[in-house]
Amino acid sequence: MSLTNLLCGLLETGVNQLHQLDSSAVIKRKQLNGTIIGVSLKELDIPLYFVISDQQIDVLNKFEGQTDCTIRVSFSALKQLQDNHQLTNLIKSGELEVEGDIQLVQQFANLLTDMKIDWEEHLSQKVGDVVAHKFCYHTKQLFKGAVTQSKAIEKQAALYITEEAKLAPSGLEVAYFCDQVNTLETETDKLLLKLDEKLNQQS
Amino acid sequence: MKKSPDNTTHFGFKTVEEDKKVELVADVFHSVAAKYDIMNDVLSLGIHRIWKRFTIDCSGVRKGQKVLDLAGGTGDLTAKFSRIVGEEGQVVLADINDSMLKVGRSKLRDKGIEGNVSYVQANAEELPFPDNHFDLITIAFGLRNVTDKDKALASIYRVLKPGGRLLVLEFSTPLYSPVKKFYDFYSFNILPKLGKLIANDSESYQYLAESIRMHPDQETLKEMMNQVGFDNTEYFNLSAGIVALHRGYKY
Repeated sequence: MSLTNLLCGLLETGVNQLHQLDSSAVIKRKQLNGTIIGVSLKELDIPLYFVISDQQIDVLNKFEGQTDCTIRVSFSALKQLQDNHQLTNLIKSGELEVEGDIQLVQQFANLLTDMKIDWEEHLSQKVGDVVAHKFCYHTKQLFKGAVTQSKAIEKQAALYITEEAKLAPSGLEVAYFCDQVNTLETETDKLLLKLDEKLNQQS
Repeated sequence: MKKSPDNTTHFGFKTVEEDKKVELVADVFHSVAAKYDIMNDVLSLGIHRIWKRFTIDCSGVRKGQKVLDLAGGTGDLTAKFSRIVGEEGQVVLADINDSMLKVGRSKLRDKGIEGNVSYVQANAEELPFPDNHFDLITIAFGLRNVTDKDKALASIYRVLKPGGRLLVLEFSTPLYSPVKKFYDFYSFNILPKLGKLIANDSESYQYLAESIRMHPDQETLKEMMNQVGFDNTEYFNLSAGIVALHRGYKY
């Protein structure tokens, strides 16, 4: 019991702290002022209730009143909630269940996920412009480097597996094999046809 | 609560005249009001936030309801209730101590909580509200300081709507003896020192520790609630019984 309370508390503090840094959050919260949205993940059966007001978002894990909108969503679909075009697909595939106003879901997903936080600006107030810029620049560079590195590693690993260690066939080999299978298939079909004909003639 | 025949009551471990207790408790809170929130966080290591969160989960409060936050102090619960009940709802923050009420009011206003919150200086024993008025009444860490607890509970019962509920969050008796030993050591040796260090007031925190020991335990308080008419009374032990949340309904 107290563990879920702790979880709610941490979530609430986290979201509100991030909102403090995001200047657009206030306007978004105003649009949703007074709405209560129930969210539960299909994998975990812990419902969370988000009480949205001008001042902040409150997260409760028990609420006995009527919510404006209740969402049941699977973990994998969480990221796609933001995309308006995906919503109908998600509902069709059963990954998302909505009771109530679907527009609220979009606004709510926007509120939680689409935060425009200028980290460099906030950091510069603490440590000064130069350090903030250098820090953010290097972090970005580091991130970029990491991405290219991981791509390179991926490529090298693939090459090692297919070419050197011969643990798996390469793309061309697979394609050649598929071609061979196809030819074999057509030839067997032909053979079957011929056999059928021969058998028909004899009888 | 057992009363001595000669109209005396306890103030921590001391015995004082009944009329005096109100003043003495008032002095304690006048003294700690300014640092109340910081002290709460330090002394409970922030766990009081989880206790309050649990209280809100048990409240079943919804939009448009009327809530009374008795002995609401600096308004932690009021802030949450105000957002949950929305514009149509109403939250009354009541405290007997005007210093605490002032701190609470300025804190809530700074947070932008206005409109559905009103502030009343009131004694829990004689609540200045009509009968059957509130959907929910909470008293968090306040009942301990009330002189006549039975009278206060009866008064709460009177102003509660039928179907409404009372939540009493209060220090209680730890369930396990190792916890109890540590807790005793903490509250008599460390707590007053921390009080001295941060709020420059060790007596108030000495009183806090003593008044907790004098407060009725879980079962006794439950019985007291039943006595004044509450139904379906139950309690939840939090943090191994250091704190207990009592819940009773009026039908």
